[in-house]
Amino acid sequence: MGATVSVFLRISVVAALAVVVACVPACGKKDPAAAGKIKIGVVTNCTADFWSICEAGANKAAAEHNVDLQFRQPEKAFDAKVQMEIVEAWAKQGLDGIAVSVIDPDGQTEDLTRIGKKVPLIAMDNDADKTGRKCYIGIDNYEGGKAAGRLVKKVLPDGGTVAIFIGSTKSANGKARVQGVLDELAGEKDAKGASGKHPQKADLDVKTYGKYHLVDGAAKEDGGPDNAQKTAGAVLARVKGMPNLCMVGLYAYNPPAILNDAKAKSMAKEIKIIGFDEDWETLKGIAAGEIEATVVQDPFAYGYESVKALATKNYDLKPIAYRVVTKDGDGTAAGPKVADFEADLRAKIEAGKKK
Amino acid sequence: MTRIFGVLGLVLVLYGALFASHDKAGEVGNLIDVANYQGQYGIITLGAALIIITGGIDLSIGSVVACGAVLFGVLMNRGVHPYLAVPVVVLFGACVGLVNGLLITRLRLQSFLVTLCGMFIFRGVARLLGDTVSMSRVAQAHPEFDGALRNIRYLLVGKSPTDGELLFPAQFVLLLVLAAVVGFFLHRTAYGRYWYAIGHSELAAKYAGVNVDRHRVVVYVACSSLAALVGVLLFLNSPSVQSDNAGLGWELYAILGAVLGGCSLKGGEGTAVGMVLGAMVLPIIESIVNFRGDKSDVIPAVVGVTLLIGTVVDELIRRRSRVHR
Repeated sequence: MGATVSVFLRISVVAALAVVVACVPACGKKDPAAAGKIKIGVVTNCTADFWSICEAGANKAAAEHNVDLQFRQPEKAFDAKVQMEIVEAWAKQGLDGIAVSVIDPDGQTEDLTRIGKKVPLIAMDNDADKTGRKCYIGIDNYEGGKAAGRLVKKVLPDGGTVAIFIGSTKSANGKARVQGVLDELAGEKDAKGASGKHPQKADLDVKTYGKYHLVDGAAKEDGGPDNAQKTAGAVLARVKGMPNLCMVGLYAYNPPAILNDAKAKSMAKEIKIIGFDEDWETLKGIAAGEIEATVVQDPFAYGYESVKALATKNYDLKPIAYRVVTKDGDGTAAGPKVADFEADLRAKIEAGKKK
Repeated sequence: MTRIFGVLGLVLVLYGALFASHDKAGEVGNLIDVANYQGQYGIITLGAALIIITGGIDLSIGSVVACGAVLFGVLMNRGVHPYLAVPVVVLFGACVGLVNGLLITRLRLQSFLVTLCGMFIFRGVARLLGDTVSMSRVAQAHPEFDGALRNIRYLLVGKSPTDGELLFPAQFVLLLVLAAVVGFFLHRTAYGRYWYAIGHSELAAKYAGVNVDRHRVVVYVACSSLAALVGVLLFLNSPSVQSDNAGLGWELYAILGAVLGGCSLKGGEGTAVGMVLGAMVLPIIESIVNFRGDKSDVIPAVVGVTLLIGTVVDELIRRRSRVHR
């Protein structure tokens, strides 16, 4: 028995040391300089380049306003439960403000309302207007969707076959973007489309909006970056060889996923791709002429404005305007050239890096 | 007994690390939160551990959790009263376990393969049943169910019926009750002795007159019923449940909890107390990383390294105890 207890004690010491070692990567967090700073948390809906740009903006505002910032990109994409666990932990830690890209506004309303009564809470990127949040920081996603729809009409002026890809059709931004594209194609508000078969391909179910046939009659939901290329690939395989094809990717990771699969199927020259957001691969695709254009939201400003608003408690903000990035630009501030846009973005990110 | 001391030591050390991680991490509110997740993981750990004791494995647990959660939401959306929907979901779980058990015992298929297929099948079934379900959607479709749902949530999860605040760790209480039942069967009845015997040597148990097939079916039914029950808890405890990612990877958490708690993957070993302690490990680690504000990128590595160390320590204890025996 004595030997067993001795072993137990020795092993316990090893376990204690092991846990300390396991926690070493985060030791920098115990920064004494953080004492007395305003504590703010920002949580996104998944891990993506889009959110790394947002983090750079948040870091810049944190440096300017003496903020101890916690920025989390949850590993599990679009899981409202995981996101709420992070927000609940921050509320318990007594943070001075929290910004959330809300995944499921309906489902999260009760919890966010309760937390919003204890901690100043703002919604960014995706709104949850029934939670009593202090403000919403983001573009008008419906108008952004309409801008994507106008780009489709520009590349396929005589009509054609369109597929729309998105991470979630349940989120407020997802619903608004998809409806914006469809309304623009149909030329009417709240367009429902006419169900039927594709006129040139009888085995393809479509919904028709004006001169455009939407593959499978609905936006294709992939649930996150892991499934994006697979989802795009399944559609491309079915429409291969058809004329006038346009693929619309409405989440940041969708356009590169579509392009990758199109290249794998030697279809990159057969299709037009319209994107959303400023993923690096999307910008590279535009510069190479493989992607027509992308509607950008300015995630750097989301991060910057969210932290600034919570630190200064000034929630009276102007809406953030979307822009359309193309290879050659249109000569206006709202339509920048891809090379100029990318250079500006890299400079901003460099400025926002933690010193 | 030595193995229980080992996992108990690990749990105590992790609680120490949790208290040290942040001045508010040791507050009652957070400890209730952690206990609730321990309850959730613990219930599926009980099921996984029973199967491991009999020398089998169940990889379909996470998908059955997802199926149970989505089925619960879909049933209520279609007008089934919440009080009726709960037993229907648990019955669904029992049927899944029955099918798994019969395939393994009657067709002599390997439990790894049967439940691996089940993992894909039931994830697919969850997707076919519906995509996103939540209490708010049920309340929109059937406002008359809102009160009953909030009462069930209060009883099974411990959340306030008015604003959803977590008041007490009901899931941990439920885990203790279920662990007591499992412990009674394992340590106080002939069933438990048969399960250990099957795990040690199926052939020897058969020659000793044990109805091996029947007992193996029973533990699969118990495991899947518990997984479906956790699906109900997941639904009640989450803002919304997506069929794509609900319970994803939870079978591994359950198996890890069982192994940390003293079950040998070779079968024939394990205790109810160990199962509860093993299941307590992961939620504490998750709370530590949340409170430390660790960057998202390091979290899976921190969780993995800590669990690996726990497993190594556990193995060392076992070897030492064999030497000193």
